[in-house]
Amino acid sequence: MNRLRTLSRRAAVLAALLLFPAVLQAQHLLVPMDDAQRNHLKAYGLMYNALKDGNRGEWFLNYRGGSFLLPDAPALRRRAALDGVTVEPLDNAALGAVRGEMAGGNMDAVALEKAPKIAIYTPPSTPPWDDAVTLALQYAGIEYTTVWDDEVIRGDLAKYDWLHLHHEDFTGQLNKLYLQFRDTPWFVEQRSRSIATAEELGYPDIPALKKAVADRIRQYVENGGFLFAMCGATETLELAIAAHATDIAASYADGTPMDPGANARLDWQRTMAFQDAHVEMSPFTNAMSDIDGHQVNVPSRRQPLGQFTLFSFSAKFDPVATMLVQNHRNVIPDFYGVTTSFAKATLKPGDTVLAYEDGAPWVKYIHGDYGKGSWTFLGGHDPEDPQHNIGAAPTDLSLHPSSPGYRLILNNVLFPAAKKKPLKT
Amino acid sequence: MGRSPSAGGARRFGRWLLPLLLVVTTSAVDAQGTLTMPAKALQLEQEGKWREAVTAYRAALREASLLPVVLGLERVYSQLGWSDSLLPLLDSLLLRHPQDAQLRTVQLRTLTWMDRDVDARGAFAAWRAAAPRDPTPFREYARLLLGDGRATAADTVLREGQRTLGNARDFPVEMAQLRSALGLWAASAASWREAVEQVQFMEPSAAFSLLPAPDSVRDAIRDTLAAPPVSIPARRVLASLELRWRSARDAWRALSDLPAGDAAEVAWLAFADEAEQQQQWLVARDALRAVLELKPDRDLAARAASDAMSGGDPASVLALVAPFDSDSDSATVERLLPVRVRALAELGRPVEAARALDERGAALAPTVRAQLTRSLAWGWVRAGDLQRAAAALAESPMSDDDRITGWIALSQGDLEGARRGLRRSLETSPDIVLAQALLARTSALTAPSIGRAFLALAQRDSLGAARAFRAAADSVRDAAAPLLGTSARLFAALGDTETAIAVWSRMVDRYPSAPETTEAELEWSRTLLARGDRASAVEHLEHLILTWPASALVPQARQALDRARERIPSSP
Repeated sequence: MNRLRTLSRRAAVLAALLLFPAVLQAQHLLVPMDDAQRNHLKAYGLMYNALKDGNRGEWFLNYRGGSFLLPDAPALRRRAALDGVTVEPLDNAALGAVRGEMAGGNMDAVALEKAPKIAIYTPPSTPPWDDAVTLALQYAGIEYTTVWDDEVIRGDLAKYDWLHLHHEDFTGQLNKLYLQFRDTPWFVEQRSRSIATAEELGYPDIPALKKAVADRIRQYVENGGFLFAMCGATETLELAIAAHATDIAASYADGTPMDPGANARLDWQRTMAFQDAHVEMSPFTNAMSDIDGHQVNVPSRRQPLGQFTLFSFSAKFDPVATMLVQNHRNVIPDFYGVTTSFAKATLKPGDTVLAYEDGAPWVKYIHGDYGKGSWTFLGGHDPEDPQHNIGAAPTDLSLHPSSPGYRLILNNVLFPAAKKKPLKT
Repeated sequence: MGRSPSAGGARRFGRWLLPLLLVVTTSAVDAQGTLTMPAKALQLEQEGKWREAVTAYRAALREASLLPVVLGLERVYSQLGWSDSLLPLLDSLLLRHPQDAQLRTVQLRTLTWMDRDVDARGAFAAWRAAAPRDPTPFREYARLLLGDGRATAADTVLREGQRTLGNARDFPVEMAQLRSALGLWAASAASWREAVEQVQFMEPSAAFSLLPAPDSVRDAIRDTLAAPPVSIPARRVLASLELRWRSARDAWRALSDLPAGDAAEVAWLAFADEAEQQQQWLVARDALRAVLELKPDRDLAARAASDAMSGGDPASVLALVAPFDSDSDSATVERLLPVRVRALAELGRPVEAARALDERGAALAPTVRAQLTRSLAWGWVRAGDLQRAAAALAESPMSDDDRITGWIALSQGDLEGARRGLRRSLETSPDIVLAQALLARTSALTAPSIGRAFLALAQRDSLGAARAFRAAADSVRDAAAPLLGTSARLFAALGDTETAIAVWSRMVDRYPSAPETTEAELEWSRTLLARGDRASAVEHLEHLILTWPASALVPQARQALDRARERIPSSP
C-alpha cells in the first residue's frame, strides 16, 4: 500500500501537470459553474470542504453560472481531479480582469468563510436515498448530522447553522397514507416508531408530538437558524404551527375527529410563509390544504407538470436571493412531490418568490426572513424523478452531475457560509 | 378557445387516417364499377385539393352512405383548419340519427381536438341522454381524453360510467389505460388482465401499456398477471413484458407452467417466435422443447436444436435430436444430422461426429458435407488434436481462408498464418475478437506460447489458458500487457482473485503506459470492492483517476469511487 501511496502522490503531480500545462503556479482556482463545468453538484462539495479545511473562498454571483473562487492548493486540485470538477487556474492579473467584468454588470462577489453545520431532520436508520437533500449532500461529499424528534425536543437544533426538512408530515397524519398503506410493513413500522417516540417524550399521540416539534423548529428560525424545507414538510410545518390551538388531525391519527371549525382557528400570525390557507377536512382525500397548487395525490384535482423559471435578482442589492437562484439554467422542468408548489393566494406579502411558473396560480420556490433567521421552501420531492412513486428506485446522481434542480438545493447549503455584508439599501 | 388543428390535429389525425381511408375505398366503386361521388372526393383529397374535396364530399352527402362522407369531411376540414365547420352538419345529422354512435364519436372527437371542453361535455351529455344504458359514450369520451393526456378527466368520466351503469366491468381496457397513465401500475395490470381475458387481441396493447412501469412496481405487475387461477392471455402478456424488460428467463417462467393443452401449445409457439426475433435463443429452445414433449415433431426439433446452438448450449442439442436418431429417412437426416455433427464438434467429440457423418452423411448435399467436414476440423481443434484437424480441413474442398484455418495456425503458434486466416472472419465470438485483438498488438511471426494458450482456450481449459497467457507474456514482450490482462480476467472468472490481483499488480508496475493497464486497475478495484475491501479499492480508483485523467475509463472509475464511498446508491 505504501508503494501505491507513493505512486498516487506522483500521479497527482503528473495529473496536475497534464491538466494544467499552461499555468503551473497559479494563485487561484476558478470553479466555473456554467456549461464548462463537468460536475456542478460536486463543485459545491469542493467549495464546502475547502471552507471546512480552513480555506476562504468567494462566490461570484451571476458570473459564469455562479462560479466559485478558491486558493490554488494541491489538495484542492487533487480533490477536483478525483471528483471530476472542472477548475481553471487564475493568476492575479486574470482575476483582476474577472473582477473588472463583474463590476460592470449584474454580478458581485460574496466572501465564503465558514462551512455551516448541517442537520437533517429524518428518522433514525433511514437510508439516505429517499430525500433529495440527503442525496445531494451525500453525492457532493458534504457532512451532515441527522436529528429526530427527541433531539429537536431536547433543544439540539441550536448546535446547527442549517436545518433541512423533507417529506415529514407535521400534522401527524403520516401523509394521509393510513387508508391506502396501513397494512404495508414500511408504514406499520413508521407508525409504530412515531407512536413510541410520542409516548417516550410524553405526548399523547403523533399529532401532539409533531406540533411540539414544529414549534421548536419555528423557534430555531426565530433565533437565527437557516431552514430549508422541501416537499410535504413545507406545507405541513406551517399548518402545524398555525394549528397550535385547534385539531387538524383525522381521528385515525389522534382518536378524535378534526375540529369542524379548524379553518377559523388557524393562527397565521405565527407562521413563516403562508396565510389564509384552508385545511383539507376529509381524511379520505390525500391532500393537506389548498397551499399546494398541484394536488398530485387527488386525481380529480391533479394539475399537470410544467416548467418553472428562476427570478433574476440584483446581485449587488439582493445578494441572498441571488445566491439562492445561481444556476446554469434559467428554466427548469417541474417535479411532483406531496407538496409540489405553493398557491400564490396563500403566500404572505413579505415572501420572496425565487421561481415561478409562467401564468400559473402557484410558485415553486420561496424565501423569507423570520425573526433573526430565514427560511427557504422548494416544492416537489426529487428534481430528477418528476413523478416519484413510493418504492421507486433511488436517484443515482452520478447520472445527473449537472442537475439544475439539485443545484437549487446546494445553493441553500452554501448560502449560510456567506459573510454578511452591510445592506446597500 | 380552439387550438390550430393544422399541426397537432393533423398529426393525431394520422392515427385515424389509414383505417378510415380503407373504409372509404371499399365504398368507392359501385356495383357497376363506376366511381361514386365519395370516390371523386377522396381523389381530390389525396391530391391535396382540400377545398374542392369539401365541395365534393358535401355533394356526396345526398347520394352516398353517411359515415365515409362525414369522416372525409372531418379529415379535410382538419387539414384546412376549419374543423368547426363540421359541427353544424353533425348537429343536423344527429337530429335525424340521434343514436348513431359513429356520428356522436366524430362530434366528440372534433370538439375535444378543438379544446372546446364545455361543448364536448354537452355533446357527451346529449349522447348519454340518447342512449341511456349504453357504455359507448363513456368509453369513447374517456378514450379521447386519455389520448389527449387528460387522465384525471378520463378518470372522472369512467367513474361516472361505472356509477351510471352499475357495472365496473364495462370499461376494463379504458380503466387499464387510465391507470397506466396515472402510474397506478398494479391496478392497471389487474384491469388489463380482465380486459385480455375478454378480448384476446388486446394483448399487445396490454404489454405496450405496462412496458414503461418502473422497476420498483414490476413485481406487483408480475404477481397480478401470474396470480391463480392461471389465465393464459394474462400469462402471455407477462411473458411479452418480461422479454422486453430484458428478463428472458422470467419470460419463459411465466409460460412454462401452463396446463398442457392446445392453448398452451399455441402460447409456447408464439413465445418461441417472439424470443427468436429478439435473439433469446435458449428460452426459445425451452418453449419449443415444451411443445415437443407434447407432440414430437422433426422440424420443430431441428428448430429447437438450431436455437440451442445459437444460444451456445450444444449439449442440449443431442437430447433434442435423440428421439429421431433411429429415423434414417433422408428428410430426417437432412434436417437433423448437420446440427448434431456441429454440436458434437463444438463439444470436442470429433470421433462421434465423424462416425455420424460417415454413417449417414451420404444423404446430404455435397456443400453441406463440405461444411460439416470443416465443423469436424473444428471438433479436432476442440479436442486438442491439431494434426487431425489439419487433415480434416485438407479433405474439405472449400476455401482455406477462414476461421478454422486461422484458429489452427494460432493454436500452432503460427501468428502470421493466424492473421491471414482470421482476417476475413466475420464472426464476433469473444474468442475470435480476443485472438484478433492480441494479434494486432504484436509483430511476432511465431509464438508457440500464445499457441498453447489459445489451444487451452479452445479445449475449454480456462485454468490452463490463464496460466499459459501469463507465461506467454514473458516471451512475447510487445503484447505482454494484453496477454496478462487476458490471464487475469480468466483467473478472476475462475474465482481465483488472489492470482488475478497478482497479475494486475504486475501490469500496473511494469506496463503503466499500456492501454490495458487502466482497465486492469479498474477491474482490480472492483474485485477489491466485491471482497469488501473498500479502503484499498478507493486507493486504486484514486490512483487510476489521477494517473490516467484522460482515459475513457475515468467516468466509470469515478462512479465506482462514489459507490465505494457510499455517495450514490448501490446498483440493484
